[in-house]
Amino acid sequence: MNTVLLIARDEWRFWRRSKLGAAAGLLALILTCASLLATINQVRSERETRVALQSEAEDTFRNQPARHPHRMVHYGHYVFRPPTALAALDPGVDPYTGTVMFLEGHRQNSATFSPAYSGAQAGPFALLTPALSYQLLVPLLLIIMGFSSVTREREAGTDRQLVTSGISPTTIWLGKTVALLGAATLVLLPLIVGTALSNASGLISFGFALLYALYLTTWVLIITAASAWSQRASSALLALITIWVTLCIVTPRLLASAAITNLPTASQIETDMEVIVALRDVGDGHNANDPAFSQLRANLLEQYDVDHIEDLPINFRGIVAQTAEAKLTDVLNEFAERRMASQMAQSHFVNTLEILSPFAVLQSASMIAAGTDNQTHHRFLREAEATRFQFVQGLNRVHAAKMAYSDDINRSSDPDAERRTRIDPENWRVLKNFKFQPAPAAQRLTQLAPNLLLLGLWMILAGWIGWLGARRLVEVSRV
Amino acid sequence: MYSTIRELRFALNDSVVVMALAIAAILACYTIWTGSEESTNERALIERVTALVTEDREFALAEQSDAGGAAYYAYHFTYQAPKALSFISRGVRDDLPWKHRIRMLALEGQIYETDTGNPELSRIGKLDFDFVAAFLLPLLSILLLYDLKAAEIRNNRWEFLSATSGNGLRLLSNRAAVRSVLLYLSIIFPFAIAAVFSDASSASIKVALTAVALNVFIWFVLALLITYKTESGPTAAALLLGIWFTTAVAIPVVGKLVIEYTIPLPKGGEILLAQREKVNAAWDLPKLDTMTPFLKQHPEWTNEATVDQPFEWKWFFAFQQVGDQTVAPLSQALHQGTSKRDEAMHLVSLTSPSLYTSRTLSQIAETDIASFQRYNRCVRRFHARLREFHYPMLFGRIAYSQEQMKLLPIFAPCERLT
Repeated sequence: MNTVLLIARDEWRFWRRSKLGAAAGLLALILTCASLLATINQVRSERETRVALQSEAEDTFRNQPARHPHRMVHYGHYVFRPPTALAALDPGVDPYTGTVMFLEGHRQNSATFSPAYSGAQAGPFALLTPALSYQLLVPLLLIIMGFSSVTREREAGTDRQLVTSGISPTTIWLGKTVALLGAATLVLLPLIVGTALSNASGLISFGFALLYALYLTTWVLIITAASAWSQRASSALLALITIWVTLCIVTPRLLASAAITNLPTASQIETDMEVIVALRDVGDGHNANDPAFSQLRANLLEQYDVDHIEDLPINFRGIVAQTAEAKLTDVLNEFAERRMASQMAQSHFVNTLEILSPFAVLQSASMIAAGTDNQTHHRFLREAEATRFQFVQGLNRVHAAKMAYSDDINRSSDPDAERRTRIDPENWRVLKNFKFQPAPAAQRLTQLAPNLLLLGLWMILAGWIGWLGARRLVEVSRV
Repeated sequence: MYSTIRELRFALNDSVVVMALAIAAILACYTIWTGSEESTNERALIERVTALVTEDREFALAEQSDAGGAAYYAYHFTYQAPKALSFISRGVRDDLPWKHRIRMLALEGQIYETDTGNPELSRIGKLDFDFVAAFLLPLLSILLLYDLKAAEIRNNRWEFLSATSGNGLRLLSNRAAVRSVLLYLSIIFPFAIAAVFSDASSASIKVALTAVALNVFIWFVLALLITYKTESGPTAAALLLGIWFTTAVAIPVVGKLVIEYTIPLPKGGEILLAQREKVNAAWDLPKLDTMTPFLKQHPEWTNEATVDQPFEWKWFFAFQQVGDQTVAPLSQALHQGTSKRDEAMHLVSLTSPSLYTSRTLSQIAETDIASFQRYNRCVRRFHARLREFHYPMLFGRIAYSQEQMKLLPIFAPCERLT
């Protein structure tokens, strides 16, 4: 064990001496710290802003003046998805989905205004989050630090000296691995600090840090394995760069494009058009004379035992609005669920194949841990829809209960009737407060357990290959 | 000449070189193929949606008995079809809208609607030809070139070669040139074939050929300089990777941060919100509050602008327009600011060969910001034409009739104005 540490310490000394290792290590630290600082403040203030905006939107809605309740249905309301505690480290899909949503009657809007809308076009790496720097760039810097760790001894012939003095090749390999692990730990520190500083629950923070620890350990083992198997530093580097490009850049993108090709999702406009056709039978809730509501009309007349809808104790138009909204929402929900399911199928496709790349395994697990994955976004969409349906129907009930049918139909031409259809703002209290919470920590941890396992497997595989390479070192050395 | 042929033979006998070239060629072919597929799919989508929207509009219009209903229920499909070279670069086409379903309501409430796919896949990013030719190509270059001198030193041939060929640099540059040209050919060949069969203008094909050639050339020079100055292959490689990292990742990231910080823009959300508040408030305001600002923009309707009823369609559409007018300064600021950011990013890209290549390819593919803004202007022009068409009927100067509705403007993509 002491020998292992001795070799590791020697490697550290080498990095200090050689400008390359020191520069790479320093760069890694600066990079991760900077990305951390840049985002942690931003997300904290973003969170406060969005929580404030949410209650502001609620106040604005409830403080609207007296007006026709249907105007309030169209006036609508905003819901905000505050960033989760770990969104600072891994914003996940947030920059792509947008986090604000406008809720109104008769429509399900998508969340709008992704930051991409007005962003400068700066190439594929422009959205460099702390997560991405750990996933993509730290491995590259570790490669630069470690590719020559074992080969250097071999090229200088010092491995033979070590072996003859009784140090086993496995010990040499282990020492180099420990040295590089030390560097990786140092680079991981900012992430651990960032996780600890966030308000995330202890369990999630631990899971999040563990993912990255396993991932970087895997890379350390891949690097020392390649170094142990290679005759020369240059061929180790060639192999490692090829592995890095394959695992971190090409494979995930190939998986994504394969998912799109194999399981294409319909475009929003096309879905909208299908919805429109499906809704033709539902009837227009603005038009109480729509034939779609004649059955409803007959039922009500019979129920209240009157001959004309004017004689009903309730406002028929409000009833029509309620019925139409309920039917319409069923149709909208069906299509929305279909759309979400088709996206989940794509993601599932990627998830099944992501075993091919530890990068992809980590990327999806990290989003789950941070609560910034697409599934959490879908949860937001569903909760937002529930809020929408609740306040729209609340207003429609008010519409049915609190005004006379005759006023309602004459309001476009009779100013007095119009005035009577403006009801008290007290009724705007039907709006409930919206507070979005991602799935509980335990649930998310269970969800990412398979990914932890896969990363563990990659780690063991890389370690095993490195160990084999180290044993090969003996034979090579003995020759 | 003889030395070039010899180097060619050397290169093609080297398994590393052959592997790198094969990877380049396979990725180039794959991305060209998927890019072309994507363009084909988009064209098919446009055709399908055009038919659907037209059918729906005719269905809705057949039921309308007045000019207001006709203006309210007639939806139009606007789009930007993929261009001849769109298959080489996705550009901003996955992030920014290139298709809309719009109607006569306030345009500012409709134009920011973005129809994007699965955000988890958007996040991973696309593998397009642009990515291969601009960002992966340098990495392949580095793999092919970093070890040239070190390999000769390792085999104890360097001194000998330097002595016999007079100048080691010439030998190195010869070898590096041959490998670079091979790399260029394996990436550009699939593109050239696809481009020739497309309707692309020869001018833009030449731009693409040159841009990628320039990228190869820059990395050829960099690799040559650095390998010549350093003794060990790994050091050269690490330095080259450092340059790649700085130019392909660090410069774009920092540039983007600085640009977005120094050129602030009104958020699309703010525009939408302000517009919506204005439009909704109009319901409760005296009619004159709407008609006065409306007439300021459209004095030609002064004689027809009296609103007697609590609800009249002309008033409804007037406050839709006033909603647009109110946020017009914000909207213009967004438009101009986006252009400014784009120009600034262009300057940044001059220091990053990868970004410059990528932006150039995106430009000729017409999937860049400028092209997105052209589409935006096109939609605005079309919406203005819709207003011109509907106002005479809404204000009662022309009687509403199904006959008259046959003259309804139909969207056609705008030709590029050069």
